[in-house]
Amino acid sequence: MSEQGARLVRILLLMFLGLWLILTLFPLYWQFITAFKSAAETNRTIPTFWPEVWHFENLASVFAEKSNFNALVDSFIIATGNTLASLVLGTLAGYAFARFPRQAGGENLAFWILSNRMFPPVAVLVPMFFLFDAMPWGTDSHLSLIILYLVFNMPLATWLMMVFFRDAPRELEEAAYLDGYTPLRAFVKVTLPLVLPGMISVAMLCWIFAWNEYLFANLFVGTQVRTFTIVIPTFTHGSQTLWNLQMAFSMIAMLPPVALFILLRRYMVRGLSLGVVKG
Amino acid sequence: MSVAHVPDWFVHKKVRDNLIVARWVPAALVGLPVLVLFAIVVYPTVWMFYHAFQNTNMMRLFQGNWSFVGLDNFRTVLGSERFGDSVLHLIQYLLFGCVLQVILGTVLALSLYELVRKEWLRVLLLIVMVLPMMLPPSIVGVLWKFMLTPSNGAVNQALLNLGLVRAHVEWFNAGVSLWAIIIADVWNWTALPMLIVYSGRVSLPPAVYEAARVDGAKGWLVMRRITLPMLKEVIAIAFIVRFMDAFKFVDLVYVMTSGGPAQSSELPAYIAFQRGIREFAIGEAAAYAIIIFAISAILITLFLKYLKKVLKAQGIA
Amino acid sequence: MARMQIEGLCKGWDFPVIDRLDLTVEEGEFFVIVGPSGIGKTTLLRLIAGLETANAGRIAIGDQDITALPPYKRPVAMTFESYALYPHLSVFENIASPLRARRMDTAAIRAAVNEVAELLRIEALLDSRPGEISGGQKQRTALGRTLVAKPRVFLLDEPISHLDAKIRHELRQQFHSLEELRRVATLYVTHDYSEALSLGDRIGVMGRGGLVQVGSAREVFMRPRTLFVAEHLGQPAINAVAAHIGGEGADLHVRAGNSGFGFPIGGTRAAALSGARHARVTVGIRPQHIKVLRNGEDAPGHHVIEGHVEIYEALGANGVLVADAGGISLTALTSPEHAFAHGQPVRLALRTDAVFYFDSETGDNLLL
Repeated sequence: MSEQGARLVRILLLMFLGLWLILTLFPLYWQFITAFKSAAETNRTIPTFWPEVWHFENLASVFAEKSNFNALVDSFIIATGNTLASLVLGTLAGYAFARFPRQAGGENLAFWILSNRMFPPVAVLVPMFFLFDAMPWGTDSHLSLIILYLVFNMPLATWLMMVFFRDAPRELEEAAYLDGYTPLRAFVKVTLPLVLPGMISVAMLCWIFAWNEYLFANLFVGTQVRTFTIVIPTFTHGSQTLWNLQMAFSMIAMLPPVALFILLRRYMVRGLSLGVVKG
Repeated sequence: MSVAHVPDWFVHKKVRDNLIVARWVPAALVGLPVLVLFAIVVYPTVWMFYHAFQNTNMMRLFQGNWSFVGLDNFRTVLGSERFGDSVLHLIQYLLFGCVLQVILGTVLALSLYELVRKEWLRVLLLIVMVLPMMLPPSIVGVLWKFMLTPSNGAVNQALLNLGLVRAHVEWFNAGVSLWAIIIADVWNWTALPMLIVYSGRVSLPPAVYEAARVDGAKGWLVMRRITLPMLKEVIAIAFIVRFMDAFKFVDLVYVMTSGGPAQSSELPAYIAFQRGIREFAIGEAAAYAIIIFAISAILITLFLKYLKKVLKAQGIA
Repeated sequence: MARMQIEGLCKGWDFPVIDRLDLTVEEGEFFVIVGPSGIGKTTLLRLIAGLETANAGRIAIGDQDITALPPYKRPVAMTFESYALYPHLSVFENIASPLRARRMDTAAIRAAVNEVAELLRIEALLDSRPGEISGGQKQRTALGRTLVAKPRVFLLDEPISHLDAKIRHELRQQFHSLEELRRVATLYVTHDYSEALSLGDRIGVMGRGGLVQVGSAREVFMRPRTLFVAEHLGQPAINAVAAHIGGEGADLHVRAGNSGFGFPIGGTRAAALSGARHARVTVGIRPQHIKVLRNGEDAPGHHVIEGHVEIYEALGANGVLVADAGGISLTALTSPEHAFAHGQPVRLALRTDAVFYFDSETGDNLLL
């Protein structure tokens, strides 16, 4: 390819990148300005690309009802609880699969755990609903979703942790044994620190998936516990959808995942590259 | 030591216990997670498998008087036009959603990596492009539904202003509504394949590129001969991740179109959801779930086998 | 008495790697195991360390049977070929690791680590991370970690194989001088025979399945039990010539194939070898026992044959000459003063009384 041709391709690709950025940002921009419009303005026949009046109070009015704020708290409890559970379980299983593949069940078990991501939600929803109904924690509780979300978060955590553990050289653990550490102490002193960045990226992924979940929450909880994802659609005035408030709330709810990603992006990239490339 | 001379102890050797960790430890480590997963997944799976062969619905479930109907549910599902249509929709989604996302993601990732030199700019652009992934799919659905409102949606207005169309596009008519969903999904999730390929590119060994530079190769040649082949596996994994999700796809359909109008934007998982949760035809929904899972499992296994073969030929796997 | 005893040790995976191996290393003895790569030297160390489980056999240190003990309970310390330093800990913490395992108090740990660091001359590196130091320094850190543990047996797995020649030399000196290693039974593994000959009180040559010969350096070098041992020690490698023993009556000859290569076997050797008349043997001649004669020079007591030069390498301290003598390729060591051209005719003087005779099937030394 000629020098000219190469430059042309480069320019085209940069233009494409720019175009994509615009396309990415436009809905977010729309979300942003809608959040500050009045309800009337959002329903105009011809939509405005800039709010006529900036209704900053929309943000506050979202929390006028305290229960909306509680929804964020509920989401937080569930996401964090599930992340911890998924991480712990995933680490245990991941370590076993990485270090003792045969005794831990081998390739088949590992694949089966992973394949659970392929089940359509309904396969889990109906039976689990009846199961939880019979359990002390019921369906409408934090614990219910914390456990339920394990269905998709735990296999992910297991798979990624397995890859990270495989990456940690076994020799270092062996050196620790010879230093006099029992397997447990060796794990804590040597293996865990090595695997910590990976754990962070796993935690981040699990947390974001749990935070953003809608379908299961919609069906299982609603009275005692409400996540923000099921609260947002309730912002209606009769039959009219209050787009502005919905957008406002969703913007607020977007902050934690975005903050997490910005803070932990290095771990994310490192985690993904290890997890994907070596997995 | 010749072959014939195999010592006795070797013939009778057994795999002794590992001294370092007792034999029960690996089983215990895996045991707890597997137990949990068992309870959470195996129980529903078994439940579904069982009820797929029954004529269960909500009422019969409560009364406990469902009965065995053999393959009836399966026949209903496989024979229904509704299911057949949804499969076509799924294929449409796979091609223009899934594959497109992977291609777009790859192009974006590599363009970002190769063409944007300044570190801070790369990070900034990365963060921006990842933002859509941070929104719940349900919210993404709502947002796009809002923007695609035919009469006064932002998209139509923008298209009009830019002169790209002459009249409002009817995004939620039959035949078009599926595209609306696809557009929303592409917007939502392209960042994931992009991140995966980007991470893969980051971790490629620099030595190969230096050698290429010494050889005088650059630009497109390097991309075609070095980068892309080395990223084959990564791109395949990005594809598998989105592919698996495609079979579970419900949120956007539920929020944006409810499968409509007239079931023209239904996807298999959504129908299963409808039939099971809304219409309480639980046995049928179970059959749906099994069929969907079977199809996806078979396809993925085939794809993995093919992938392994390709990679083995290249000497990687 | 911290003597290490190994009896009937067996380990195999797809095939037997270690087959009924017996070995005793006395307290304070520096025992070197030398052998080709992949033969099982590291496996042996790992079995002693407890990182592998033996299929059969017994390992004891002093009067303690450690065969069934997990590695963290065995009184051994090991350096790994890859050093296995903890990357997230400083050099100080790496060395202190065994002491922390025993929960020693901080002051005692600091004293012990400093002492060892000074001994190994790495005290300036104590705050650095393994990623920041050189190969030789890593190796010394790894060594420090084992020294500080004060085990009853030291296991050193190819500790200096991956370092460049100068540092290797330096560290070899250090191994000589480190008292600790001489106070306790030490097992040192290497594939470099000159290291083995230099460091070992005793040497074990490892072949398929176990130790082929054990003895002092001199013994193993001068009286190899098999062709394998002879071939493995010495550089350039020994010349191994397929031949047969012939001759009538009191007259015994060696003849190699159809070539003119051959010489009489005299004296005591003839007596010892008379039973091998008409047998096929492998004749082993070390390159240093082949002298390249200059014009007019003579070599009494040697058997002279004619040949021409195939390859000549001038290696500074000496030269390596490969000559074709009657169809047989022979390697000889020469003094560096003369150069040889390809094809040049040479006269080689073989020191026939230093020649080894090995059974061509079993490889056993016929004169032992």
